[in-house]
Amino acid sequence: MAPDLGSKSDLTVVFQPVQDAPRATSADDGPTPSWLGGGDISGSGALLEARAVTVEYPGVRALDRVTIAFRAGEIHAVVGENGAGKSTLMKVLSGSVRPTIGEVLLAGRSTDFGQPADALRAGIAMVHQELNLVPTLDVAENVTLGCEPRRAFGLAVDRAAQRRRAGELLALLGSDLDLSREAGQLSVAEAQFVEIAKCLASEARVVIFDEPTAVLGEQEASRLLARMRALRDEGRAVVFISHHLEEVVAVADRVSVLRDGALVQEYVRADGLLRDSAGVAVDEHSLAGAMVGRALGSIYPEKGAARDGVAALRLRGFGALGRSSGIDLEVRRGEIVGLAGLVGAGRTETAEAIVGLRASTGAVELDGGVRAFSGVKDAMRAGVVYVSEDRKGRGLHVTLSSIANMTLPSLDRHARLGGARIDESGERAVARRWIDAFAIRCARPSAPISSLSGGNQQKFALARWLETQPRVLIIDEPTRGVDVGAKAEIYRIIADLAVKGLACVVISSELPELIGLSHRVLVMREGRLVGEVDREGLAAANCEERIVRMASGLSEMKERTA
Amino acid sequence: MTTRKPGDAFSIQRFLERWGVVVAFVLLFAASCWNQGFDFLNAENIRALLNSNAPVGILAVGMTLVIISAGIDLSVGSMVVLSAAVGLTAVNWLIGKEWSEASAVWIGVGTTLLVGLAAGSLNGALVVVGRIAPFIATLGGLAAYRSMALAIAEAGEIRSQSDTIFRRFGREGIPLAWEVPGVEGAESTFRGLLNSGGKPLTLPYSIIVFFFVAIVAQWFLSRSRFGRHLIAVGANETAARYAGISVEWVRFRVYAVMGLLAGLAGFLQASRMNSVSTSGLGVAAELDAIAAVVIGGTSLRGGFGRVWGTVLGVLILGMITNMLTISGVSPYWQGAVKGAVIVLAVLVQRGSRA
Repeated sequence: MAPDLGSKSDLTVVFQPVQDAPRATSADDGPTPSWLGGGDISGSGALLEARAVTVEYPGVRALDRVTIAFRAGEIHAVVGENGAGKSTLMKVLSGSVRPTIGEVLLAGRSTDFGQPADALRAGIAMVHQELNLVPTLDVAENVTLGCEPRRAFGLAVDRAAQRRRAGELLALLGSDLDLSREAGQLSVAEAQFVEIAKCLASEARVVIFDEPTAVLGEQEASRLLARMRALRDEGRAVVFISHHLEEVVAVADRVSVLRDGALVQEYVRADGLLRDSAGVAVDEHSLAGAMVGRALGSIYPEKGAARDGVAALRLRGFGALGRSSGIDLEVRRGEIVGLAGLVGAGRTETAEAIVGLRASTGAVELDGGVRAFSGVKDAMRAGVVYVSEDRKGRGLHVTLSSIANMTLPSLDRHARLGGARIDESGERAVARRWIDAFAIRCARPSAPISSLSGGNQQKFALARWLETQPRVLIIDEPTRGVDVGAKAEIYRIIADLAVKGLACVVISSELPELIGLSHRVLVMREGRLVGEVDREGLAAANCEERIVRMASGLSEMKERTA
Repeated sequence: MTTRKPGDAFSIQRFLERWGVVVAFVLLFAASCWNQGFDFLNAENIRALLNSNAPVGILAVGMTLVIISAGIDLSVGSMVVLSAAVGLTAVNWLIGKEWSEASAVWIGVGTTLLVGLAAGSLNGALVVVGRIAPFIATLGGLAAYRSMALAIAEAGEIRSQSDTIFRRFGREGIPLAWEVPGVEGAESTFRGLLNSGGKPLTLPYSIIVFFFVAIVAQWFLSRSRFGRHLIAVGANETAARYAGISVEWVRFRVYAVMGLLAGLAGFLQASRMNSVSTSGLGVAAELDAIAAVVIGGTSLRGGFGRVWGTVLGVLILGMITNMLTISGVSPYWQGAVKGAVIVLAVLVQRGSRA
C-alpha cells in the first residue's frame, strides 16, 4: 500500500467545511476515508506507531522503551512534566531524531525518516512550539508554503487561489488575519494560527500539535480545539501535546502519560469519560498526579535558614516588556527562591530583564535602592548576576578555553596597562582556584571548554559569575543536561552560597529540584506570578501537584467551579 | 585560542588545519629559491617583495581583526585612496599657502590618518548604530569613498608638491650597517653574500611599519582585553553580551582601527609614488587583504584568527606573483593562479573552523 497523498483530489477534502467532512468518531467504527489510501490501517488500529523506542543522549536516556500507537480518527494526548520525554518522542515521530533502539511504523510499515522533510512527505506534519514561519513572506504565502497553487503550466504561483485558500484555512480556525501582512510582523498568537493553518494546508495524515494553545487566549484556544476535533473527524490521527490538562481532559480520546522517559499510564475515553485500565474515570487532577508520582531523592542538601532583614533584591510591578508584567518578588540574603512555571511562562525573560538584557517595566530595588541596569556589566557591578539556561548558546563560549570562559565577566580585574595586557598567570590562578573549590574535572584549562562534560561546564558557568562576588544570583535551569552526580554537587554549591548570605533565585522546570532546593517557590503563568508555596507547603506531600496545577492554571479553574 | 581537543590523535588533517600556512610558506620559499636560484635570496629582491606588499599587508592585518569579530570590510581600498587623496591635497594646499614643507607634510600625514579613522568610524557606526550587515555597510563605503576621492581630483592624479620630504617615507629607510668591529672588509663581505649589488642596504620604513603594526596587532589579539573581547564577540555575539561585554563598542572599535590602518597604508602608498592616482590606488585591495587573511588560517566565521598567519599569507601571495612574473606568466593569468591558491587554502583548512 503506497498512499498517494500528493494528488489534487486529496487536497480538496481539507478545504471542505467541517460539516461536510467524512465523519468517523473512531477508526474502528467509521469507514476509512478513501484519501487515506484505504487498506488495512484501521485493521491494526494504528496509523503511526512507535515500538520499543529508546533514545539515548550522552549521559541521559531521554526515552526508555516507549511503545505507543496513534490511531486514525483519534485525538491522542501525550502529557508529562518538562523533561519527561515528550519533545524527544515527537522529534522521533517527526523524523528529526533517530531512535537509538526501536522503530517507528507508519500504517504498519517500518520507516526510517532521515529528516523532518521525509516525515512530512510521508504525511506527518507537526505544529512546532517554536514557530517556523518565513518572516519576510506574507501570511498567505506562509500558509501555502510548499504547496502553492500553480497556474500557467505550473510556472507561476496563482496568487488569487493562494490567497483564497489561505483565507479559507484561517477562516476555519476562526481567524480573520490580513493575508498580506508579513509574518515577521505578527504577534506570537497570530503566528501560531498561521503555523496551524500551514499544517492544515498540507495533506498530512498525522498532525502533531506541540503545545499549540500555550500562546493563545481562551477563545482562540477553544476554536483551535474545535478544529482539532474536525481534523479527527476527517479521519486523521491527531497528536496533542499540552500542559493544559483541562484541555486534554476535554478533547482527548486517549491520553498517554510519560514520566522520566517511560510510558507510565494510558487512559482511554469510554462513555464520554477518560478512564484508566480498570475503568475508573479520571480528571485533570489525577492526570497531574500520574505525571508527577515520584519520590524526592536525597540529593538535596539541607536548607539553611533565610536571614531576616531588608530584601537583597525586590521587584515591584516588574516585567519583561511584552513577556511578563506585574511581578512583585523579594529575595532576602541567604534565601533561595524557586521560580516555577511552564516553558514560555516568562521566567527567563523576566530574569533577563532584571539584568538589563531586555527592556523592562516596573522597578528593581537592590538593598532598598531603586536601580535600573543598562546591561549585564552594570548589573554585575551592582552585584546582580544571571547564569543563563542556554549554556552552549549564551552562557559560555564553547570554542574558547575554560580559562577564557572563566574570567570573561571579571576580565577587568586581570587587565594591566589599561587593558593592553592581561595578567595570564592571574587568570590561571583564578581558574585553578575554582577548579579546586568546585571539584571541576578539567585536565587542561587552556583547552576549549566544549571538551568538558555538561556538569563541569555548568560549574564553570556558575563560577565565572561568583568570581565577580555578587550579592544576588539568578540561576536559570542550573542542572539542564547535567548528570545526576553533578546535579547533587551543584545543589550543594547553591545551598552553601545561600548559607554564606547570597540571595538566590533559581529558575527551573524540574519541580523536584525546586522543591528540594528552595525556601519558597513562586509560580509563574503567562507572564504573571500566580502563586506561592512557602516552606511548610514545600514540605507537604502534595506540593508538586499544587505547583503543576498553578502553573497550568488548574487551581483557578478549581476555584471557579467551587 | 586553540580549537583542538585534548587527547586527539595526531592527524595530517588537523596538522594542516593549524600549520598549513607555514608549510605552504616554506614550500613556496623553497620553490622560489630552486626556481630563481640565489637571485631570489638577493637581499634587494626580498626587500622589494616586502616593501611592495607592506601596504596591502597593513590592510590585511586590520582585516584579520575585522574578520575575527565575524565582520568584513570591503571598503579598505576606497578608504586607502580617499585618505591618501585628502592627505596629499592638504599637503599641496599648505605648500601653496607658503607653509614650510616639513610642517605641511606632517599635517598631511595627520590628515591622512584622521580621514582613514573617520571613514572607518563611519563604517563602524553604520554597523553598530545603524544595524546594517557589515558586508552591506562597507559595500556602500567601497562605492562612496572611492567616488569622493575621484571627485576631489576629477578622477585624475594628484601630484605631490613636496619635492623631498613626503616621498621619503615610502622610499627610504634605516641604513643597515654591516660593519663588524675589528674585522677589515666585513661589510663588503656581507654585501657580497647578500648580493645587494654594492648599493647601501636599507630597511625601508614601510617594512618597519608593516611589522610593527603586525606585532602590535598580534599582541593585542592574544594578550589584551580588547583581543579577548574581539574573539568572544566573533565566536558568539549573544554569549558575549550575556557575559557583560559591550558588543557594540568592540565592533565599532575594530572598524575604526581598520580605517586608521587604511589611512596608514594610503599614506605609505602615496609617499612611495609621490602622487595619488584616484582611479588606480587601492583598487581590489580588499580582495588581496581578505585572501591573505583566509590563507593565513583565520576563520571567516569569526572567533578565531592569527595575525602572523595573515603576514605569511601576504608573503605567500607576494611570492606567487613574484615567481609567476619572473617565470614569464602573463599578468592576466596570475589572477587565476591566485584564485586557485585561495580556494586550496580554504579546502585544506576546512575543518572545525573555516
